[in-house]
Amino acid sequence: MTTTLEHTAVEEESKGGGLARHQNAGTAVACGVLFAFLFWLVARKTLDPTGEAFNDQVTTLLGCGWIIGFWFGIGAFNGPMRWLLGRDHTRADDLYYAGHNQGRARYWKYTTDHKVVGVQYIIVTMGLLGVGGMLAMAIRTELIMPGNHFVNQQVYNAFISLHGMIMILALIVAIAGPWANFVMPIMIGARDMAFPRLNALSLWTLVGAASLLVSVAAVGGLTMGWVVLAPITDQNGVGMDLFALAIVVFAVSSTVGGVNVVCTILTMRTKGMTLERVPIFVWGAITTSALALYAFPFFLLVEVLQLLDRNVATSFFVSGGGGTGWLQANLFWLMGHPEVYVILTPAVAVCFEIAAVMSRKPVFSYRTAVAAMVGLSGLSILVWAHHMFTSGWAPTLGGPFMVTTEIISIPTGLFFLVLIGTLWRGHVWMKLPTIWMFGFIANFIIGGITGIYLSDIPIDNQLHGTMFVTAHFHYIFVGSVLFAAVAALAFWFPKVTGRFLDEFLGRISFWLVFIGVQVTFLAMFVSGLRGMPRRVSSYSVIFDHTNLITTIGAYIIMSGMLVLLGAIIKSWGHGEPSGPNPWHANSLEWMVPTPPPLENFDVMPVITEDPYNFREEMVRS
Amino acid sequence: MSIDTHADGDVTGDEFAEDGRSAEGNKAHDQESHHGGGEGHGGGDDGGGHHESPEVVDGRQRMAVWLFIGGDMVILAGLLFTYLYLRGTNTEGHWMNMVGYTGHPWSYYNNILFVKGGSLPNPTTVSVNPVSAGFYWLVTLVTAVSAGIIWLGEKRLRASRDAKAFVPIAALATVVALVALVLTIVQLRQIPEIFVTQNDSAYMAYTSYSSAILVLEGSALLHMFVLAFLGLGLSIRASRGVISGDKWYQVRLVRLFWVWVAISSVIVAAVITSVNTIH
Repeated sequence: MTTTLEHTAVEEESKGGGLARHQNAGTAVACGVLFAFLFWLVARKTLDPTGEAFNDQVTTLLGCGWIIGFWFGIGAFNGPMRWLLGRDHTRADDLYYAGHNQGRARYWKYTTDHKVVGVQYIIVTMGLLGVGGMLAMAIRTELIMPGNHFVNQQVYNAFISLHGMIMILALIVAIAGPWANFVMPIMIGARDMAFPRLNALSLWTLVGAASLLVSVAAVGGLTMGWVVLAPITDQNGVGMDLFALAIVVFAVSSTVGGVNVVCTILTMRTKGMTLERVPIFVWGAITTSALALYAFPFFLLVEVLQLLDRNVATSFFVSGGGGTGWLQANLFWLMGHPEVYVILTPAVAVCFEIAAVMSRKPVFSYRTAVAAMVGLSGLSILVWAHHMFTSGWAPTLGGPFMVTTEIISIPTGLFFLVLIGTLWRGHVWMKLPTIWMFGFIANFIIGGITGIYLSDIPIDNQLHGTMFVTAHFHYIFVGSVLFAAVAALAFWFPKVTGRFLDEFLGRISFWLVFIGVQVTFLAMFVSGLRGMPRRVSSYSVIFDHTNLITTIGAYIIMSGMLVLLGAIIKSWGHGEPSGPNPWHANSLEWMVPTPPPLENFDVMPVITEDPYNFREEMVRS
Repeated sequence: MSIDTHADGDVTGDEFAEDGRSAEGNKAHDQESHHGGGEGHGGGDDGGGHHESPEVVDGRQRMAVWLFIGGDMVILAGLLFTYLYLRGTNTEGHWMNMVGYTGHPWSYYNNILFVKGGSLPNPTTVSVNPVSAGFYWLVTLVTAVSAGIIWLGEKRLRASRDAKAFVPIAALATVVALVALVLTIVQLRQIPEIFVTQNDSAYMAYTSYSSAILVLEGSALLHMFVLAFLGLGLSIRASRGVISGDKWYQVRLVRLFWVWVAISSVIVAAVITSVNTIH
């Protein structure tokens, strides 16, 4: 029997949403295509076809049409327009936007529930990693032996550029995206993010940016690497315009997301949840978000200037008009190096979290861990010119930048201290998250130490632009961040799905990827030390053995990732039930039901202790 | 972690609803307040927002506005860095000149290329004049006046609690911001260009000086659009009663950004006035 109250609630809810009821990913794509076509049509009709920049202008406007249409179609403009008209969301609207009672359809909509957004981030990240991974395999297949076999140098360069940028995007969001959304608000005792609609905006803007980025391939690609250094960008076709636009849109997404995460952590912690009691991952989330707020506006700026140079004949990076490529290099690397720590910090924080829970010990020297993350973020904005040691820019500044870069090894060393101190003499539970975390530690040591070499100017002069550098940062990104991302997935998978990530397949995947990483990148180090340059599709026969080994290693990694994908798909629907707190952890996300209800808590918790005060022996199964 | 009260749940995977939400989860939701609120655009008042007080929601929104302003500061710093860097390097002496043609391109098109079928003369080094700093200060003044109006309006609203009286003030601030917007467009049109040819194409190009001015003014134009949007929104909301004597927080949020735009305009005007030509 339905009560009047329930009936009223249902009736009220059915009125909510307004235009959003008709908007979803399908309408977003449809509107994006429609607007892109309209913009293209108007551009073709109104712009001078004999102009030097005609094709660039048409392509840029087409891209703008796509993203505006996409935003319109998904519902991103609904909130601002309703604010403008003074028609704020009602309770029913908020319920609708939160995806209440919408089943799986809510994953395809502009849903504001942070847990839905977290899952959407998981899917987007996997998609990006999939595309970037396929490009990586194409690259390695081409490099299996000397000479051009499958693609020419131009196509190869396009593969390199897209692979680089797509993977960078994927890794920026790989941990902070899913987990700063899904678990972080629960960890601090909040009912949602501070700005749920901005949360949805951040996610869908990322989707719009990623689609623009992938579409670069359809218009001739990008042939100068993901850093797109000027003035060589002038030689690229219209793919450069879409690339720059994609980065501008991505910067908007990351800024909006960063603001949201920082505000959530600083203003929405439950009673008693002091900054010294928050789980360590929360510190990772806030430092990475704050750093993103500093770094990505530079990314936006440098790509806007690129667009202006190409579309309206400005002279920022063109020497004939008084511009200089070094301006682009400086602005880019002002973003570029902090961006590495935007990627790395949440990975380290996840490993702290897993190490503490799985060894049943508090994070060793919690304050040191926090200081290391904050210190690393602060230092990262002072090291950008080490990427330009060999460029000839300001040689007198080489020494100071070498020093600041080498100082970074101090907070990095503290990471290892904290991790090893946490695990030391703990009864480590060797489950899937733990072994991926150990993989992170092993690979991060190799990636970190080789980074110290590269910060040294004499060695950098020798190794810059070689495969050694490529191997170094792949040890950081693949060997470390990707391992931490999988560890995080394995750790919180039970909270998302109520099921364990398949332990057997997960372990097979781990060993394949771990062995694959060593085979691939150790051999790549050797190629680099012997002088093999980056970004070439063919090479001297003296590098053939190491390249063959690297390619074999890459295929091993790919097979491992496919096994992992299989494990995820299998476990999501049919994995072993986990219960709400399978790791016997103390932090709040494990105290709520699985999956967590819409607003997470029936009654707001009051915190009286830190989350690592383990009293009971963990029940192991 | 020790907590005094917490939601307890023991749901296994088998109990999940098809959409991934447990029955218990829905129950928990139904017992609780509604979702949303606390959103940047006014969901916090009548939208409910987890029964949080307007002061709490306002504090959160204010922090967000400060963070967005922080991001905007980084962009402004990048723009000024661009301006000063290009001026300082003065690559090949082309800060304020470029190899091209003096005069309007139409004269070449009509008189030489199309009408007489001739060819262009050899290009020469063409210098541009600096933009008018006085005009820059005029735009800055208008922006500052609009910021002052909105600030005064906020003070008056907080003192008198009379939302209706705020409507004309917000509308006036919007109109003044629109004047600044139009002036900025006029200013953009005055940025000197040089007619150049390259690869069988003829087009108007900007020296690095003009380029830096263009992007600074473009940024100002974008800010003006946002101000006009916000001012219009405040006017409509106040007239509809969404902003009232007790709900004035959003006016302060808008004012914060408005004042920042005025300050950034002052900074840019000061830099352009004091650091203009090379010598």
